[in-house]
Amino acid sequence: MDNDRTKDLESRRQRVLAGGGEARQAKQRKQGKWTARQRLGALYDPGTFQELGMFVEHRSTDFGMDQADAPGDGVVTGFGQVDGRLVYAFAQDFTVLGGSLGEMHARKIHVIQDLALKSGAPIIAMADSGGARIQEGIDSLNGYGEIFRRNTMASGVIPQISVIVGPTAGGAVYSPALTDFVLMAEGIGQMYITGPQVIKAVTGEDVTHEALGGAQTHARKSGVAHLTFADETALIAGLKRLLSYLPSNNLAPPPAHPAAEPDARAAAAVEQVVPDDPNKPYDVRQLIFGLADEGSFMELQEAYAQNMVVGFGRLSGRVVAFCANQPRILAGCLDIDASDKLARFVRFADAFHLPIVTLIDTPGYLPGTAQEYGGIIRHGAKVLYAYSEASVAKISVVLRKAYGGAYLAMCSKSLGADLVLALPTAEIAVMGPDGAANIIFRSEIEAARDQDATRKRLVAEYRNRFSSPYVAAARQYVDQVVTAGELRPALVAALWAVGEKSEDRPAKKHGNIPL
Amino acid sequence: MRRFKITVNGHSYEVEVEEEGERPASGRQTHAHAPAHAEPPPAEAPVAAVGGPGEQIVAPLPGTVLAVKVTAGQAVESGQVLLVLEAMKMENEIVAPRAGTVHELHARQGQAVNTGDLLLSLT
Repeated sequence: MDNDRTKDLESRRQRVLAGGGEARQAKQRKQGKWTARQRLGALYDPGTFQELGMFVEHRSTDFGMDQADAPGDGVVTGFGQVDGRLVYAFAQDFTVLGGSLGEMHARKIHVIQDLALKSGAPIIAMADSGGARIQEGIDSLNGYGEIFRRNTMASGVIPQISVIVGPTAGGAVYSPALTDFVLMAEGIGQMYITGPQVIKAVTGEDVTHEALGGAQTHARKSGVAHLTFADETALIAGLKRLLSYLPSNNLAPPPAHPAAEPDARAAAAVEQVVPDDPNKPYDVRQLIFGLADEGSFMELQEAYAQNMVVGFGRLSGRVVAFCANQPRILAGCLDIDASDKLARFVRFADAFHLPIVTLIDTPGYLPGTAQEYGGIIRHGAKVLYAYSEASVAKISVVLRKAYGGAYLAMCSKSLGADLVLALPTAEIAVMGPDGAANIIFRSEIEAARDQDATRKRLVAEYRNRFSSPYVAAARQYVDQVVTAGELRPALVAALWAVGEKSEDRPAKKHGNIPL
Repeated sequence: MRRFKITVNGHSYEVEVEEEGERPASGRQTHAHAPAHAEPPPAEAPVAAVGGPGEQIVAPLPGTVLAVKVTAGQAVESGQVLLVLEAMKMENEIVAPRAGTVHELHARQGQAVNTGDLLLSLT
């Protein structure tokens, strides 16, 4: 080939690879941040990244933009292999025009969104951007809108993961919000609709960027972030781990893993996790550690709505979606936040054919005016909807309390669970023994000379007769009663039996989940 | 927290008004990050500001104080059980969100509390 042309190509490449230049990259590093290319380099298997649209240029001339130097227009896009699998990604480059999103920047993103959807491969978005490129006006705005639309079209077809490693403000937060998982780096990533300055001007509140939209805020208060990490190294490792559970698309199986035994210590203690006394709290995650393959449980939204535990794990090598009430937080009650968290996770699992294992120990819905006024009726209904709608394998285990509406909601047989297991400690009933006895035996208690003693006796009677798994098992609302020690082999067998089952749903445009 | 400027007889006063149960604007932002694979982090008591010094530990759900495990002035470690709240047929352990000293103890054994009621403050 013509040597001059090769040299020209090389110099063009070098110009783009230099991003915003040494000074801006040094500033980026000084803030503890990686550059866009560093991030992609850490994600992809060495030498596999294929960059697309390297020589894209913006075509704006207003407000001095004709003089602006913007290599790659502030975003690096392409595909490559992550642990040998095809994954698409884009990383905004803060060193080029602040990573601001203009028309061509957005178009580069649209191109790989389209390719990822057509080829059925996951897409990773790495956000580090000052927001819309104001100089490009409504073309920039349109760029966002078309990203949102593509996010929505791809939802449920390919996994979409957002990585927040820089400022993400205003409309820019809605692409991450539309994706399946949001990962944030502490002190580096921030997300908010209106920033601290606007809040100060409008409401007078003083709040820092980090307090308003940092990783801890979204992990604990808003529930926007699914995973948070101390730094970018940990984030990339966590991102790769998350990908290891996810199929490439809605028609593909998740990555295969060799079967493994659970952690020996957790498995040995599995009989002791659930206390016989229904009033004693415990950490349901200790049970999951004893059931899942060693080191395979990855909890999501760990610090948000802690009364509900959701996460991926493996049972004898097979990926499952674990959902569990957490009795040590808010007594394991269902509330608004827990319902939202659970329903969204169940819908993800169903969309990507990941069997759902639900561990049940809940006394009911959290009582209180705040819950009622906040719309627990609407939010709680999402759980019923999500479980009923799910056609993936659904295996439920009643550990202890399963009362009333909350029992139904937690993937009961009535909502279409394929197999329901119960421990001998299970209490499946329309309500707790105290409440039920007070209603059923009201006149008897009121007529008694010693009301307290009579109430106690009747509560005990009710508990003995109805607070067990056997009344439900007699109607086959429960398929099997097993000990905690027998639970893992029973779950593995259940997964083997119904893991590939299929169910049809009536043809419709889409349902109307109570949002 | 909202600030108002009030003028009475020509004298101007600045006042700060805070609704009870409102969280402080500063919040708590200094939690150590829990690594993904470590032992589960301890359950944290919710916190609200209703005036007074220190961190206010409030009831996360309505119930009855079954046992108070600490005394005023006592040093506590992060994750230590401060009191047990019987609610929803469960003995809920209310634990210290961080190490500190029990400043004021508001909850008494046997007391019925509602969501958001002040149990104790931690300095």
